[in-house]
Amino acid sequence: MKKIHLLNILFTASLLIISCQEDLPSFNGFESYTYSKEDKNGGEWKTTLIASPNEIAIPVPGEVTSSTYQAELEAAIKANAEATEEQKEAVKYWTNNPGVRWNEIALELIAKYNLIPGPTSEDVYILPDPANPDGPSKFPFAHPPYAVRALAYLSTAQFDGLITAWHYKYLYNRPAASTLTQQMKTLYDAQNIPAYPSEGAVIAASALDVLKVMFPLEADFLTEKYNDAIEALNVSGHYVNSDIQAGVTIGKAIAAKALARASTDGMKSAQTPKPISDSIKQAAIDRFGWYWENLELPTRPVGLTPLYGKVKMWNVPNVIDVRPGPPPSIGTKELDDDIKKLEDIANSMTRERRAIANFWQDGLGTYTPPGHWNKIATDLIVANRLNPLRTARTFAYLNMAMMDGGIACWDAKYYYHYPRPIQLIPGFRTIAGTPNFPSYTSGHSVFSAAGAEILAYVFPEKATTLREWALEAAVSRVYGGIHWSFDATVGTSQGINVANYTLTKAKSDGAE
Amino acid sequence: MFIFKIFIQNQRAFLRSSSAFLLITLLIFFIKPVQSQTPSDAIMMKKMEFCGLLSYTNGQFNRYWEGDLLRKNKTIQTVHRQGVMPMVAFGVNKWLNVYAGLPYIWTYSSVPNGGYFAGASGFQDFSLAVKAWILEKSNDKGRINLLSSLSLSTPATKYLGDYLPYSLGLGDQQILPRLIAEGGLAKGPYVRASWGYQFRGYSKAERDYHYNNGSVYSYYMDVPGAWVYDLTLGTWLFQNQLKFEAAYMGTKSTSGDDIRPYNAPQPTNRTEIDQYSLLVHFYPKQVKGAGIVVQYNDVIRGRNAANMTSMSVGLTYQFSILKQGNQ
Repeated sequence: MKKIHLLNILFTASLLIISCQEDLPSFNGFESYTYSKEDKNGGEWKTTLIASPNEIAIPVPGEVTSSTYQAELEAAIKANAEATEEQKEAVKYWTNNPGVRWNEIALELIAKYNLIPGPTSEDVYILPDPANPDGPSKFPFAHPPYAVRALAYLSTAQFDGLITAWHYKYLYNRPAASTLTQQMKTLYDAQNIPAYPSEGAVIAASALDVLKVMFPLEADFLTEKYNDAIEALNVSGHYVNSDIQAGVTIGKAIAAKALARASTDGMKSAQTPKPISDSIKQAAIDRFGWYWENLELPTRPVGLTPLYGKVKMWNVPNVIDVRPGPPPSIGTKELDDDIKKLEDIANSMTRERRAIANFWQDGLGTYTPPGHWNKIATDLIVANRLNPLRTARTFAYLNMAMMDGGIACWDAKYYYHYPRPIQLIPGFRTIAGTPNFPSYTSGHSVFSAAGAEILAYVFPEKATTLREWALEAAVSRVYGGIHWSFDATVGTSQGINVANYTLTKAKSDGAE
Repeated sequence: MFIFKIFIQNQRAFLRSSSAFLLITLLIFFIKPVQSQTPSDAIMMKKMEFCGLLSYTNGQFNRYWEGDLLRKNKTIQTVHRQGVMPMVAFGVNKWLNVYAGLPYIWTYSSVPNGGYFAGASGFQDFSLAVKAWILEKSNDKGRINLLSSLSLSTPATKYLGDYLPYSLGLGDQQILPRLIAEGGLAKGPYVRASWGYQFRGYSKAERDYHYNNGSVYSYYMDVPGAWVYDLTLGTWLFQNQLKFEAAYMGTKSTSGDDIRPYNAPQPTNRTEIDQYSLLVHFYPKQVKGAGIVVQYNDVIRGRNAANMTSMSVGLTYQFSILKQGNQ
């Protein structure tokens, strides 16, 4: 029996190990917190999509002593008292800073849709078509330029929406329902911030409308999230129905403003037909004598969004202002040295370099580099207990600067049309996937430098670390074998340069 | 039969897993050849018997299942996976055997390809297994055996599981309890079946976010567990100098996501594999204790798996550290 005994022990040990497995987190595990500030003057901050909060009108709220309000309060007390466990979980999930959750939802959709169209069985690539989002290639392909643009519209809408909400909150000063009765059981504190209009409703309504356009196949999923978020506000104990409705009104209005800008920002023309793409390539050959080409099999006829460099920028007047000088010519010692450097890195790949290449890769199927910096922002926002308005401000400047960075980077990419390492180094092999666009400058470097500069401004105590991370993200592409070192260094400078335009705006928006 | 293990491993590892199969094969298949010195009267190695095995496997695929869709992908073209597998087995006594193995693997794509990815090479997973006899019934006409095994495996190096299809393995720890039943005639044909569940742990990636039917904010990727089962028909020929086996082997994950369109596989994928295998093990009379084993393996159906074909050759050598009669 000895043998069976031993097996029993091993089997029991196995079960113990197995039972130790836990679910992995699908969102940041933070809970509602006390804000570091209330920002009573938030309604006076400078807006981006609208001239001033007065552009969006909401009804003058009734007095809390009015019978209308009292009836609303009764309904809110009832909803609060009868909240199901599921609804209480929803309140806990959305927290008192739901802008973070909507950002996470956007990142998840980016990761879901960041899939490059593959060839058909006839070796033809069919690009996603917004007019026919179901495909054959699903719309959108949420590549980094698409992703950062979606995040920029989402967060500028939320920022302007919340400036508007703060304007009306302190104009009307209607207290939170929970402060008018002893009967509410709440999961977080109202913190003396007026309840009309509800900031959570502004956030949910603006997010729903923006993201539905950016991810049209997700309308049902987003509506479900929206209903869940509104229901959480409804049972939270802090808001009566008119607080929430006024917030929804602002959210929808500001989303419409954002989408109006998006519809004419030039993104529609960014993915060009082949003749235009070929003429862009020919222009580079005429100018510099070199060209980038796609080496995939089958060859992709057009690079990714050749005219993204012409998309309307947020805070840089002219993209030419932030275009760097040219990369080293083919055959120069500077390029030859870099070829040798990349070969040396590939031939003696260290675990540390591999880990850096992978940590910052944020490639296909992930939330992209801009998404990564939004995730970093979330961690800092929560750690610094920012209120919803400052949260939206952080995301808005972060994503405006990164989108401007992406536009500037794409301008350089297709202006210089510089070849990738696999094109110039015979037999070269990489540990990261070579993207379908020219090399110079590195998108990761520009996105990361721009993002780090904004976050360093908002969270100065973390500035050194953030800038180190941006440099690491930049060099990660060199370690990955898909960028020259000058793509990374010049890209970093370009990102810092671009971010300064947004910082100038941020420093004078009234929030300091 | 160790060869089986690598085969299986190869097929699965391309797109999904690898190391558990190693153990499975170890337990189920390897053990048999070891004993094949005395096939008519034993299933386990005897006390103080050792068997060593060294095999080489060469596998490749140019199609794989993306979910249920069998496709080609010129980004990776034909993916090659080769390995050398040393393994030892030891008879604690007639009732309890222990096995250990550690494969060295290298992977690469045929040229030209559209991806220009570097392959990988290195030691994969260290595996340790015990196998015990639960039931033995035999007479001069035939035998029935019931065995139970437990295999454990863990990455031997810090290789990256999140680099499919070139990863050496999936980079997770595995535990596989298994039941094995065999019945056969005293001389000649036999049939064997086994069934087990492979519990799989986490694969540590080098990134802190991945998508697995939703966001996952963690360095860890959840590798789905799987049912594993097989059915083998075998026979001894030429005065027990040669063993021939034909086997079906199945794997079916119980959770996990599909490979997304034209995207790389990842350790979280739900994997299903149906494959068959043909094996010949030859024991030349001239060299006591030695054997040569050749195996062919082919995946015939899969889900999130490589349509892999592989061939292995190996040498086995069995000896006892006890003198005859002391057993």
